[in-house]
Amino acid sequence: MNHKELIASMAAKMNAPKSVVADLLETTIATCTELLADGKTIGFQSFGNFEVRKKEERLSVHPSTQIRTLIPPKLVVNFKQSNILKDKLKDLPHND
Amino acid sequence: MIKDKISSQEIIDLVASKASVSKRAAEEFLKMMISSIEDALYAGEQVKIKNFGTFKLQWNEPRKSVNIQTGGDILLAGYHKVTFVPDSILKDLVNEPFAHLEPVELDDESTTDLQKEESSDVALDPLRVFTEQATEIKDLLSEIQALSPAKQLILIDGENLETSKEKEVDRSNNQKVRIEIPDYVFVDEPSVVESNVDKAELTEPQEIKSYIYNQLEKKNVEYEQYVVDFKESTLIASEVIQSEENAVEFDSTSFIDSIKPIRKRKTWLMASLLLVFLVGGFISLYLFNSGVKSSSDKFLSGAMNELVYVKDCVSNWICPKPKRAPRTEVLIVPKDTLSAASINDNDVDSLQLLFDNPRVYTEFIATEQLRRSSRLTLISLKYYGAKDFWVYIYEANKERISNPDDISSGTLIRIPKLDSRLIDASNPRCIKKAKELHDQYVKR
Repeated sequence: MNHKELIASMAAKMNAPKSVVADLLETTIATCTELLADGKTIGFQSFGNFEVRKKEERLSVHPSTQIRTLIPPKLVVNFKQSNILKDKLKDLPHND
Repeated sequence: MIKDKISSQEIIDLVASKASVSKRAAEEFLKMMISSIEDALYAGEQVKIKNFGTFKLQWNEPRKSVNIQTGGDILLAGYHKVTFVPDSILKDLVNEPFAHLEPVELDDESTTDLQKEESSDVALDPLRVFTEQATEIKDLLSEIQALSPAKQLILIDGENLETSKEKEVDRSNNQKVRIEIPDYVFVDEPSVVESNVDKAELTEPQEIKSYIYNQLEKKNVEYEQYVVDFKESTLIASEVIQSEENAVEFDSTSFIDSIKPIRKRKTWLMASLLLVFLVGGFISLYLFNSGVKSSSDKFLSGAMNELVYVKDCVSNWICPKPKRAPRTEVLIVPKDTLSAASINDNDVDSLQLLFDNPRVYTEFIATEQLRRSSRLTLISLKYYGAKDFWVYIYEANKERISNPDDISSGTLIRIPKLDSRLIDASNPRCIKKAKELHDQYVKR
């Protein structure tokens, strides 16, 4: 499901025009992005937490050329699902 | 950081105020959004949100574990997990404080080999000295290149040659280093020999040339001797290993001690001799420039240039004296580039004047509000095109920023309008000046 399809399904559920939903989604995403950029953790009830984690710098060695590279530290966004969502997903059969 | 965790209620409030809708509508919207995403995930689809990221469902296989208390095996059930892969836009935004860092390729000779040598084999010490010398030469060459733009063309050839050699050296073992460096100098030598054999006036330079040639040969012979000596010593060492291990260290270290002083004395002798010949070369060149102004003059000075370059290389190699390079540069500027050089001088002077004058900031091009993730360097990159010029922003906002390393968010700073010559990122002098200021402000 891509961005457009998500908007379409939400608009159908909410009985609202797509443009309104698209605007709201955009503001929500922009707000979340801004908060995350400030290093905040966002918790959505019953869904999960978005948090910013720091990956420390590390030394990587290319397996074939043996070139050693120092990878600088970085900040990444991490999502951890809530237990409620995990329990909901338990009923889902897995087919692989 | 005042508060770390933002709840969904706060998100709802923020969205409601931003999109100017009621809180109830925003709440309903957020619930819908989450349920829509969940529904799509239940259906086994992945959900992509523009500028944010992708949600995917991932199946984690059941796995065995051990109960810590009883020691019995337990089976952890498999479960579905929602994974989130952030979009590159979000990634970059979040990583902004560290965006200026780039991966650094480490020179494995300086780290791995060093450690190995130190721990395992004392007899490898002379090899390390040679590899160090090789890198030293490289550094000096690049320094010369930075100082003398007129010579760049000639130097590039040499550098390419050397870097390719160096790469070879990296790949092959250390033994090659010592044989290849003299080779490289020899490669340059014949071209000089060919270019001015039949010129009668060139007696003095020729002397120098032959002298260098001899010296290089000597050096080469010396190196070869090292190779032989080293091989012998390792042979002896390996023999001794079989009988007694303690003796090995003693043998090799004393061997190193015995060769080091000889080499030092020789290099000093050669350095002093070269200095004498260098001075001789300058005098002859000066005479050429003032006295003889024939058609061959230009060719001669060109040839001399090349010769002096080789000489520089050799002298730097034997006795690194970086200050000598710029001096030779000034003395042997060919006739046709003299005018260009003088213009350059004027330019440099006005720039120096600009540097020395205290900067007064009256005009401003923009104002910026600092955020938690803001960095002066990044602001500088945005407005001036280079991170190094942040010092000028700091200078203009000194009363607002107490410590450039620790800026408080919410502060409004003004971006000063600067002379374009001052923030010329392509000019190494501007960068150097900015670095000086940086040291001044940061290392107080």
